[in-house]
Amino acid sequence: MLSYVLDRLKSSILVLFVVSIITFFVLMIIPGNPAQLILGTDATPEAIAELSSAMGLDKPLYQRYLSWLLDLFKLDMGKSYVYGESVTTLIGRSIPVTFSISIFAMAMAVFIAFLFGMLSAIKKNSIIDYFSRSLMQLGTAIPSFWIGMVLIVYFGVRLKVLPVSGFVPIDRGFADFMKSIFLPSLVLAIGEVGTLLRIVRSSMLDSLKQDYMDMARVKGLSAGTIYIKYALRGALTAPLTIIGMQLAKLAGGTTVVETIFALPGLGRLVLTAVEHRDIVLLQGLVMFITSTVVIVTLIVDILVMFLNPRIKSFHRGE
Amino acid sequence: MKKNISLILGIILVFIIIGIWVLSFVHMPYNPNEMNISNRFLRPGFDSDYILGTDNFGRDILSRIMYGSRNVLLVALVSVTLGSLVGIFLGALAAILKGLTEKIIMRIMDGLMAFPGILLAMMLVAVLERGIKGSIAAISIFMVPVFSRLVYSMILDTENLLYIKAAKSYGSSKGQIFFKHYIPAMLPRLVTQFSSSMGSAVMIETSLSFLGLGIQPPFASWGLMLSEARQFFLVYPYLAVAPGIAIIITVLGFNLMGDGLNDILISRRSNDE
Repeated sequence: MLSYVLDRLKSSILVLFVVSIITFFVLMIIPGNPAQLILGTDATPEAIAELSSAMGLDKPLYQRYLSWLLDLFKLDMGKSYVYGESVTTLIGRSIPVTFSISIFAMAMAVFIAFLFGMLSAIKKNSIIDYFSRSLMQLGTAIPSFWIGMVLIVYFGVRLKVLPVSGFVPIDRGFADFMKSIFLPSLVLAIGEVGTLLRIVRSSMLDSLKQDYMDMARVKGLSAGTIYIKYALRGALTAPLTIIGMQLAKLAGGTTVVETIFALPGLGRLVLTAVEHRDIVLLQGLVMFITSTVVIVTLIVDILVMFLNPRIKSFHRGE
Repeated sequence: MKKNISLILGIILVFIIIGIWVLSFVHMPYNPNEMNISNRFLRPGFDSDYILGTDNFGRDILSRIMYGSRNVLLVALVSVTLGSLVGIFLGALAAILKGLTEKIIMRIMDGLMAFPGILLAMMLVAVLERGIKGSIAAISIFMVPVFSRLVYSMILDTENLLYIKAAKSYGSSKGQIFFKHYIPAMLPRLVTQFSSSMGSAVMIETSLSFLGLGIQPPFASWGLMLSEARQFFLVYPYLAVAPGIAIIITVLGFNLMGDGLNDILISRRSNDE
């Protein structure tokens, strides 16, 4: 069991190493001198040369990569030229926004997906099954920016019950905080629920076909015991893995929703960095986001292994 | 019987979009980029000259939707084709050559998969130019690991089957085995994946355009139309209706087609998924 954990840890570190190489070298292709970008077009050549050497831009590429990597370990990601603040500070300030909406969104998606996924597997080909299957398809096909706009018109403007933009930190009142994250989280949840529902339904159908289900029925156990204790438990592995992947994806992939609802999260930082070609900021963000993805995936994989020790031998064959 | 509903519905939706795309070369009611300030914000209606209404510059929304279908389909088709070809090539290379090649290729693919959602595409757009070429390059690279991992695992699954071993034993070259045996065996899954990837490519393209990183104004693209509608849709909600429905029809069409193909092409234990 320990060897599996170590194995996964090793490959996670390797993935992050590859990501750091991709990120550093891809962003080096950006045309133009970063020093020139910071100082503007009317800077003297001397000033540009001075800043370039201060930023280490005159050193060979591999040396710059190594020193960037070393700084990353010290959580020093450099200074954003758009904001004029350290990247670490900027990320630290945005984390609460993005993580709140991601976690709340996943909680909603998990609730809906398990409720409808189980019901539709138990009552296959019933009305509720058709409804769930339509939800699966529509959930993945509706663009989040569109459903976001629709919800803003309906809840924010017609009913005037929810704020349509901005973020209220949790220390300024829990109710206001929840109100400010409800719509963005709902939009994210709609985007994720389709995939999750599909997995819950098919794992549940698989699980219902197992021999131990017949055994449970023969023993005359109540429906609740049969479905929750036996069928659901047998059907947890695949959904858990997907939940982990989705949570990781949301932590870094909420740019569109943050843009619609004007939330100052990580996604907005990414967009600003891309728009202004703020390489230092973008490098830091990409490394932070991918690390989050890799760590969350690792934790979920280990959790799943504890739930289902068969995974261990399966993974080894990979 | 039931399993074919997805396929039929998917094909119908895809045909609707392809029909609109073909029609955009034959006839559009108005010039999609022609501004006419006196006709701005005309509401949609069948008795109106502008069936889907006009936008903030007085441009005909129907013509812009039709014109936008060209960009969306072009970007999606070219980038999924490019991405799948490169992905298939790299995946096959890794699975057939093994050794160091396999390790390097598959680690790079793992690295690319660690970029969540549209982050990779956004990062690539920062490096490349904004517009059609940038979107195509970004989405192609996004598709590469999807296809290479699929091909890689499929080859590993089939390489020990008897007919592959037989082919090896009478001296077929690696290339011959790949084209004569692996490709036909993988085709159903590749076709299915291609269709679903078209759906995700459309979604990424429209997201990039919505964020202002894709096709640039004044050209029409569905994502861009929604982004432009943002300033006005509180007063004129109809602005957001047509582009939204166009995107949903396209993505839903390709996804359903992928699911339907999956059901008929790939024999499975059940049609539950």
